[in-house]
Amino acid sequence: MKKAIAVVLLLAVNALAGDLTGKWSGSFKVDGADHNVPQLFILKQDGNKLTGTGGPDDSEQYPIEGGKVEGDRVRFELTTGEWKFTYDLKAADAKIDGDLQLKSTNQARTAQVSLTKAK
Amino acid sequence: MVILGVTGSILEFEPELDRSLHSQLSYVTPVGRVLSLREIGDVASRRFNGEPVVAYLLSTSPDLSWQVVLPSGIVYVNQYTGEVLGLRPRGQTFLGYVRALHVRLANGTFGRNILKWSGVTMLLSLASGLYLWWPMKQIRIRGRWSNRQLWFDLHNAIGIFLLLPLAMLAATGTAIGFEDQLAPLIYKLTRSTPIHTTRGPVREPAPGATLITPDEAVAIARIQIPGAVPYRVQMPKYGGLYVVALRYPQDRITGGANQVGLDHYGKVVSLSRASDLSSGDRILAMIEAIHTGDVWGMPSRIVVWVASTMVLVQAFSGLLMWLYRSRIVPTPAPSTAESGL
Repeated sequence: MKKAIAVVLLLAVNALAGDLTGKWSGSFKVDGADHNVPQLFILKQDGNKLTGTGGPDDSEQYPIEGGKVEGDRVRFELTTGEWKFTYDLKAADAKIDGDLQLKSTNQARTAQVSLTKAK
Repeated sequence: MVILGVTGSILEFEPELDRSLHSQLSYVTPVGRVLSLREIGDVASRRFNGEPVVAYLLSTSPDLSWQVVLPSGIVYVNQYTGEVLGLRPRGQTFLGYVRALHVRLANGTFGRNILKWSGVTMLLSLASGLYLWWPMKQIRIRGRWSNRQLWFDLHNAIGIFLLLPLAMLAATGTAIGFEDQLAPLIYKLTRSTPIHTTRGPVREPAPGATLITPDEAVAIARIQIPGAVPYRVQMPKYGGLYVVALRYPQDRITGGANQVGLDHYGKVVSLSRASDLSSGDRILAMIEAIHTGDVWGMPSRIVVWVASTMVLVQAFSGLLMWLYRSRIVPTPAPSTAESGL
């Protein structure tokens, strides 16, 4: 019985975020900077596992690593040549936004991300 | 200005400093043949839980180790023996912080704006310094030194001997700071446009197809840009294609601006060569090379280092001159006998 309740709760929590599968576009802005950097993600959600690719545009895409969806919380990482991007986002309706940590081999910065689902 | 000078002097020898801070990772003894990129990548990946290779960084000297970029950090590998020398995780380092201070006061746009106007201020200081120096033409540090005299002479001597390098540093630094405004003007004056690399269609790998290795990607790239030496190879999983960056070691200004993009089958889908850069691109690259001291190699790097370091001495001596000058020296009251009363 407890197991069943736990499964139902887990499903309900996951349902909060809805299905993230699809194309998401938007931008991030590094804290203190005055310009937005474009972002495009092609996501695939399977339960609480999130896979797909992301990058600045269609032609430059990097694989999503360690993607997880827990309730409305969406977390994943993406590595380009120099930088590693760690996303900690919240999904609501057709929007995902939250924090981004950027780490190179000698620098660390933070940014704010905002994505909307392409129709 | 002091921050710019101090951080600039540290950054002048950043690669050498970084290597000396991580000497056990950086240096190798050349023995025998160099392993293939595939072998080096396999060794690094196996050691760190099978993480995929993001990119390879090939060293410019035979006694420097090669690096394999993984999602978790950079693995240093002895390219002759395959020994994994260690991993540097991602994150803020001292030298990274120094760089952030130099370009944006470790802040964002606000810090960048302060710094670019500091460049203008430095140019004005140099001009006013020359104006004040000109009537005296003082270049010698004179023998009998009072405190004020010492700092005054030192300020004058350093200022005049380093006027040209300091002016070049300030002018190029200001130009870099105002690049958003300056670049369109340079392109307009030179009647050129920035070179953008276009990318041809990329074939996705078919299941079971024979795909090229990173070593083959490098070999094809070398044919495209003869005489250039590869220094970076990005894997196609990250960005969709192999990207091989090459440099002409003898060209210190635009030599690193060569890049070949290849699909999984080895077809060249993008190509940018230093020789194709427009005159506007070259001027902007020259400004940067003068500022970093790369323009004439080690001699100009030493001049830039000395000039950057001396900014601190100039600021300190200038401050002391001002302090001594502004101090009110009490004059003793004349005695009754002297006054004749």
